[in-house]
Amino acid sequence: MANQAVLDQETFETFHNWRVNRAEYAKQWKKRTGGKIIGYFCTYVPEELLYAAGILPVRILGSHEVQDVTEPHIFAMFCPFCRDCLAQGLKGRFDYLDGITIAQSCLHIRQSFTSWQKHIPVDYNYYLPMPNHVQSPRAAPFLTKELEVFKASLEKWLGRKIDDAAIDDAIEVYNRNRDLLWKVYELRKGDAPPLTGEEAMEMVLSSQMVDKQDHNAALETLLTRLSKRESTRSTGTRLMILGSENDDIEFIRMVELCDATFVTDDHCTGSRYFWNNVKLNGNRLENIAERYIKRVPCPSKDWPQRTRVAHVLELAKTYGIQGAIVMQQKFCDPHEIDTPALIKALNGVGLKTLFLEFDVTVPIGQFKVRVEAFLEMLQEDDLF
Amino acid sequence: MITAGIDIGAKTVKVVLVEDGGILAKSLVLAGIDTAATTQQAFDEALAAADLSKEKVERLVATGTGRKDCALTDREITEVGAAAKGAIHILKSCRTVIDVGAEEGRTVRCDENGKVIDFAFNEKCAAGAGTFAEGMARALQVPLEELGPLSLTSRRAVQMNAQCAVFAESEVVTLIHAKTPRQDIARAVLDAIASRIVSMVRKVGFAQDVVLIGGVARNPGFVEAMKRSLEMDVYVPEDPEHVGALGAALAAAE
Repeated sequence: MANQAVLDQETFETFHNWRVNRAEYAKQWKKRTGGKIIGYFCTYVPEELLYAAGILPVRILGSHEVQDVTEPHIFAMFCPFCRDCLAQGLKGRFDYLDGITIAQSCLHIRQSFTSWQKHIPVDYNYYLPMPNHVQSPRAAPFLTKELEVFKASLEKWLGRKIDDAAIDDAIEVYNRNRDLLWKVYELRKGDAPPLTGEEAMEMVLSSQMVDKQDHNAALETLLTRLSKRESTRSTGTRLMILGSENDDIEFIRMVELCDATFVTDDHCTGSRYFWNNVKLNGNRLENIAERYIKRVPCPSKDWPQRTRVAHVLELAKTYGIQGAIVMQQKFCDPHEIDTPALIKALNGVGLKTLFLEFDVTVPIGQFKVRVEAFLEMLQEDDLF
Repeated sequence: MITAGIDIGAKTVKVVLVEDGGILAKSLVLAGIDTAATTQQAFDEALAAADLSKEKVERLVATGTGRKDCALTDREITEVGAAAKGAIHILKSCRTVIDVGAEEGRTVRCDENGKVIDFAFNEKCAAGAGTFAEGMARALQVPLEELGPLSLTSRRAVQMNAQCAVFAESEVVTLIHAKTPRQDIARAVLDAIASRIVSMVRKVGFAQDVVLIGGVARNPGFVEAMKRSLEMDVYVPEDPEHVGALGAALAAAE
């Protein structure tokens, strides 16, 4: 069986094009709808509220290009991702944004937000004080009140009310998107997953850039296609990748060309983004707050209990992985704190791990040597 | 059965010919730009040393940074696997292999069968690799092969915080200006390399016996620095830079 990991153009073309041509999509969306676009820095931003207000939320991500524009604004030992994001703004690549927002997560990305606020004027900006101590019983009530303030702020900016029906619709569209993404991920549990990790990454990343209704329609088509799609490649070693923000398609492709397949992940650009739904039950803002408080946490919020460890082990088990690549953006403090516990837990259930630090560009050659040695070690385990 | 292991490293190409576990011949050639030509040259030199024609070599396995481009063989093994196989063949009690080459440092933990348990690479830091020693020898105006023996004459440990090869060189210059004896600087340089390597070794853990391989293991000052830093003895094979190629040749026989 051919060990091909190239993107299936026909099936994933839409997602790929959305990701690559995100600016073009956003500009056309604006022309088509007359709506406003807000860039968000962290997946703790409750997109449902923005969507209910007729706003398109788009995630601000980097470009993986070396740049020299952020040095005056961000300390060199902050993570490369937060610098890469700010660089996009400074280079004018998000010139279609009407506003920016962030929910409190880590200080590095907050610095990108505040620098953007200061140096790249937009019409609207909002800092949402999302609680860090999500395990506190007071976190959800606190966030509910903050969402009320956020909603009022949006209403003031837009000059109109965000009504309950619009919030209900937004929740429905977002839940639908999460359900569909989850269904596609379910297919990856099989012996011969009908999609690669690269394709899954294209799919989830694009969902952070386009109107969820457009994305839902594409996912419906995708699910029909995948049900008929026969894998033409060897699955090889079943891997999981977990860690911080990761949209490094090139790295994923490199690994999957070494007779391996990523069958699941735990990234905020992957499964962490869509794993939990909003459960409608009375007060809408309370329900949205509950979703963000109880979602699979980012390590910046996962304390004093490390609840993500159990979640990762469950993913590892249900997706039948043989090894895990644990990655993080260089200098990412929250993940640095979590990584030893995750590695220990995975090793504890007999799963080997390879730890890698990512930068704006990853040294593909050096990483390939490590990945190949890791896969060779896992394959030897199968023989003994 | 006669097999060949070809290790195409960052700086040199090494070939080892093996028959029934015994080494027939070795060769070492500078890799240069045209690695296809130098790999062929290294292979030819090994054949000549063993007085063999290439037809007698039944299987070839490549390893090292340039293994993908090796035209002589279509089989390959990673540097990690090759190091473990080669080291355990030389010393049965080996459980940790530390491989310090021109551009990279690696550590491999293995079991009694040479199976890799875990490994680590030094991360994008020249201060933990052979080229760093070369650069510092240049700064000290000492031939590379004399850097180690010179360091052994030092009676005083000088601290050097070498995280970056370029900044480390400026530290060396500062020490020179401060009239620090050359042998003490030589020791500081080798201690700094050992410190980078041992930091990496501690990440994956280590168990005795420790085998030190790669070209830098030829430097007696570095070997002593490693012993001091690890606080244990380390075993250095006769031709430490050939152990990867030996491992590849043994893999070819499997």
